[in-house]
Order: sequence, then C-alpha cells, then structure tokens
Amino acid sequence: MNAHGVFAACSFLLYASAALASIAYLFTKSERSSRTMFFFLKIGVALHAAAFALRLSQFWTYPENRFFLPLTTFYGALSYMGLALAATFLAVEQGRRLDILGAFVLPWAAASLGAAVLLAPPDVAPLAESLRYYWLNLHPFLLMTAYAALANATGVAAAFLVQERQIKSRKPGALCYRLPSLDELDYLHARIIAWAYPVLLAGLAMGMVWAYRDGWRWGGDPKLTMAVVTAAIYGVFLWRHFIGGRRGRRPVYLSLLGFASVLATFLGAEFYSGRHSYLGGLR
Amino acid sequence: MKLRLLAWGHRAADTASREALAAVPVEEILSRLRARGVEEAAAVSTCNRFELYVASSPERECPRELLLAALSEAAGADLACGLETREDAAAAAHLFSVASGTDSLVVGETEILGQVKSAYETARRAGMTGKRLNVLFQRALYVGKRVRSETGIANGASSVPSVAVQMAESIFGRLEGKAALIVGAGAMAELAVKHLAARGAKRLTVVNRTWERAYALAARFHGEAARWEDLPAALAEADVVVSSTGAPSAVITRAMIEDALRRRAGRMLFLIDIAMPRDVEESAHALDGVYLYRLEDLQSIVARNMSQRAEQIAAARAIIDAKAAEFDAWARSLASGRELSLKHSDRPRRPGRA
Repeated sequence: MNAHGVFAACSFLLYASAALASIAYLFTKSERSSRTMFFFLKIGVALHAAAFALRLSQFWTYPENRFFLPLTTFYGALSYMGLALAATFLAVEQGRRLDILGAFVLPWAAASLGAAVLLAPPDVAPLAESLRYYWLNLHPFLLMTAYAALANATGVAAAFLVQERQIKSRKPGALCYRLPSLDELDYLHARIIAWAYPVLLAGLAMGMVWAYRDGWRWGGDPKLTMAVVTAAIYGVFLWRHFIGGRRGRRPVYLSLLGFASVLATFLGAEFYSGRHSYLGGLR
Repeated sequence: MKLRLLAWGHRAADTASREALAAVPVEEILSRLRARGVEEAAAVSTCNRFELYVASSPERECPRELLLAALSEAAGADLACGLETREDAAAAAHLFSVASGTDSLVVGETEILGQVKSAYETARRAGMTGKRLNVLFQRALYVGKRVRSETGIANGASSVPSVAVQMAESIFGRLEGKAALIVGAGAMAELAVKHLAARGAKRLTVVNRTWERAYALAARFHGEAARWEDLPAALAEADVVVSSTGAPSAVITRAMIEDALRRRAGRMLFLIDIAMPRDVEESAHALDGVYLYRLEDLQSIVARNMSQRAEQIAAARAIIDAKAAEFDAWARSLASGRELSLKHSDRPRRPGRA
C-alpha cells in the first residue's frame, strides 16, 4: 500500500472516531466529547488533504493525466466526497454552536471515505481516452463539492426542524437551549444552499457539455434527468426564500426533498445508469 | 483554627431578628466586634439571611455569647430567636452551600455569589480578615463557581420574564434591534417593556385603547405610541408582541395575524399573551412561523426549570461536602505547624512534595 493509502486509512479512523464522539456529544452533552470530535476531525481533514495531494501527484506521474483530477473512479469520488463533507462541516459548523450537528453530518463523511478505503484499491491508472476532457473532469469535482455542502445544509435543516418543534411545543427541553436560534439556523441553511447552488449548476453544465459532444439525447441518462430535478427543487427553494420571502417549516421540507433527490441521484444511478456506475470500477 | 457561624436564615419562621440585623450597616457590626477583641469576622447580610463568620486561633476563641451580645447591642434587639450556630467544618460547608445557591429560595440563583463576594470585600476593607477568612471566602467563591459549572443547578431561567426573553432568543438569536409591540398599558405591560428594553429591543411601540395611557408609557421608555385602529399595521412590523389588555374577548385574531404575516416577508412572530381572559386567539399558534406563549406556558417552563435545579442539589452537595472536608483538613493543619497547601485542584497537597 502506498503512502496516500495509509494516510487515507488513518483519516478514515479519525473520521469514524470523530463521528462516534459527535454521537456521544448528542447524548451526553459533555463538552469534552465536542472537543474530542473537533480534535479528531481537524487531524483527519489535514491527513486526508495530504493523502489527496499525494495521490494527485502520483496520478500526474502519467503524462496523459497531467492536470486532471483523479475523481473518476469509485475510490477517487468517494474519498473526495468524504473530504468535502468534513471540510465543509469544519468551515460551517465550528464556532456557531452547531457542534451538535456533527452527529448528523460526520457519519456520512466517515461512511463515504470508509467505503472508498475498504472497498476499492487506491491505485491510480492512466485516464481512459474518453474521460480526458477538462469539462468532464471538473464535472464530478464540482458536483461532489455541491453535494457535500448540501449534506451540511440538510444537517442544519434537521436542527431547524428540531428547534422549531421544541418552540412550537411550548415545552422546550434542554436541547432547545443548546441549539442556535431559529433565525440563525434559517439564515445559515439558506446561505449554504445559495453558495452550493451555482456550483451544482456549473457541475451539471460541465456534464452536459460533455454529453452534448458525445451525442446528446434527452432521457438517455437517467442520472442527468434526476440531477435536473434536484436542481429544480433547490431552485424553487431559493426562489421562495429570497424572492417570495417564505420562511418556517414548509420551505425546510422542500430542502429535505431536494437532498432526498441528491441521494437518489447519487446512489440510485448506480443501478440504472451505465455511464455513471462507479461500482463498475470495482469489478 | 476555630470557625464559628451565627446565622439567621430564611428558613426560620421568626423574621424579627433578621430584619433588625439587616438594618445595621455591616461596617458598624464589624467595628463593634473589633472593639471586643475579635480578629477575623465577616458578615453576609442579604434580604434573606444574616450570617456572621468569625475565625480565630483555638487559644483565642471568641465565645458565642460574646458575639451574640455584640450583635444585639448593634441591632438594639434580642436576637436569640431564629438563631442557628455552626462550627468548623459545618460552618465552612454552610458558607460553601450558600455560595453555591443550594441554600437560596430560588435554587442556584447567581446573585448570592456576588453578595458573598461583597461581604468578603467589606470585611477586608475593614481590616477584619486574616489568613483564615481569606482562604475560607476565596474557597467559597471557587466552590460556588465550580458547583454552577459542574452541575445543572443554575440551568434554565428562573422567572417568567427571563423565560420569555430566553424563548425570544431561541427564536431570534439576539434581541438587539428587534421591534417590540406592547398591547395594553397596565402594570404588566410596563414590566414587559422594561425587560425588553433592557435586552436591547429597539422600536418599542405601545398600543392601547386609551391613547393617552399608551403615550405616557411609550414616552417613559423612548418608544412610540400607536392608535388602537393601527394595531393590524403594528402587528406586521413587530417581532415580539406582549399583550395584556383587560378586554373581555380576543383583541388579536387569527385573521389579523394571517393578514400581518403576508406583509412580513417570512419573519417569525413571537406572541406573549399574559392577559386573562385571553387577548390572542389560540388558533394563531398553529400558523407557520407564529409562536404564541401564554402566561401559564411560561410559568410551567419556570416550574420545570426549578424542579430540574432541585434535582441537582444532591450532586452539588457532594462537591460542597468534599470541599468542606478539604478545607477542614487545611484548618486543622494550621495548628500542627505543617500546613497543607490548598490548590484549586482535587486534593490538598503538602508543600514540597510532588
């Protein structure tokens, strides 16, 4: 096993520990768990970033791979997804009294990197001729980034719903005082989506450009159709939030629907889209 | 060392002694004690308790009768009624639990910590503290803080206005810059205005059936008064609404709120209805983004917080007892000539040993 594989395996263990600490924090309310979570997570992200850089430099030793990103394999895609999830969590939640959301986000980061580390070889190989387009190479990078941000937004949405229920019940529990205010959660939720949305659209556009060169056909790739549905749902959310001025529970349900669509696009497509099957790379 | 405590607490049925003592400035009491040869003394005098702590070396012990006589003379009353005395470890434990708030009427309240601190400072200014009381009071402040941070004894708001503010903060974050609307201009309305203004709520608007009374209340708090007919418009502007009119039926209807919501661009609305009969239609609570709390909702939150605090007393007690035993060990070590060192850590250590 090469150095970046070892680094990635270590950072998987760190993510898993951070995820366990975050779940412990959810139940025990001990500040120590929260600190442990961030401690593991910071080292994990640093190691993971190093692993990514090492793997990239190894990938570029093939001259035909130069300046492409190694994201087109199962390993590359899921490993990057884990990194983006963990890094966005650090950027967004730390310092906002949102440590409690770790339990909703970090298990995904650990699972994503874990699937890569445990199921697929980290080795790099020359890119297939058909994949050597910069449009196409940026396509998974942008989409994974957007999905990671949207996963974080979904964590914030979950916190919003919990907090809203607490206040609506007129019997707020201890959780109510530990979560940020409704206004803050609402603002943060919409902000993350507003940032992720252009990235999502750009990633989608890159894929479409490539699909167009490859012979465009509507409905030819179900994943494309589903991604368009996802983009439409989040588009409606943003429209209603920023232009229609709609707040509260119902818009948040829309955002959850959007993320369900992301999951369906990302996971579901494994089963019916030949072109997007990462698992194909496993066999 | 010898530590002696004379206490008149809020649990005693007879309040005459406590009231007589509360009327005397602490400085005067301390100077009278000094005149009688007392070296170290401090008095915690609040509206709920009067407590005198006197420390000395075992040889120069001040008898209880001497202290009581000095106090009686200062207060000009017979103080035997309601008096509790404690000595040494029990006295230290008592001060620690007072500082921790386990002995307060409102369990866990934080004001008492400040009162213990100022009692200590008064005694220090009067030159009535030495090594013994310095250590005792500094320990008490440390234990008080530690108990509050390590147990849930100070968790949750303990009064209706502070619960209301806490809920408003759970909805809006900070209240600074938020608009408040007060419906009604009675005593309750005034109390609400005071709390909201203290939390930095801007733009206070008062609506009342009689414009003059609304104007008078608004003027006192640099708010503005609005006419009764403008209530629907004021609802569209406000973030927090406190209603306390004497109206026989609801003055804020669901339809009015629905109408206001359309003009609010999704901002949330927090309604506090402290009127009886009710001012706000109950069905308004079902609207998305509208939170209607009635007086009894706030009261039941207070009650729950207080019972949760009471559940923490045992945990607080454990810390207090451990720290009192530690202090007692230190106090005894003074006489032996091999003084223990009291650190703000878990165990007293002998100096010079790792």
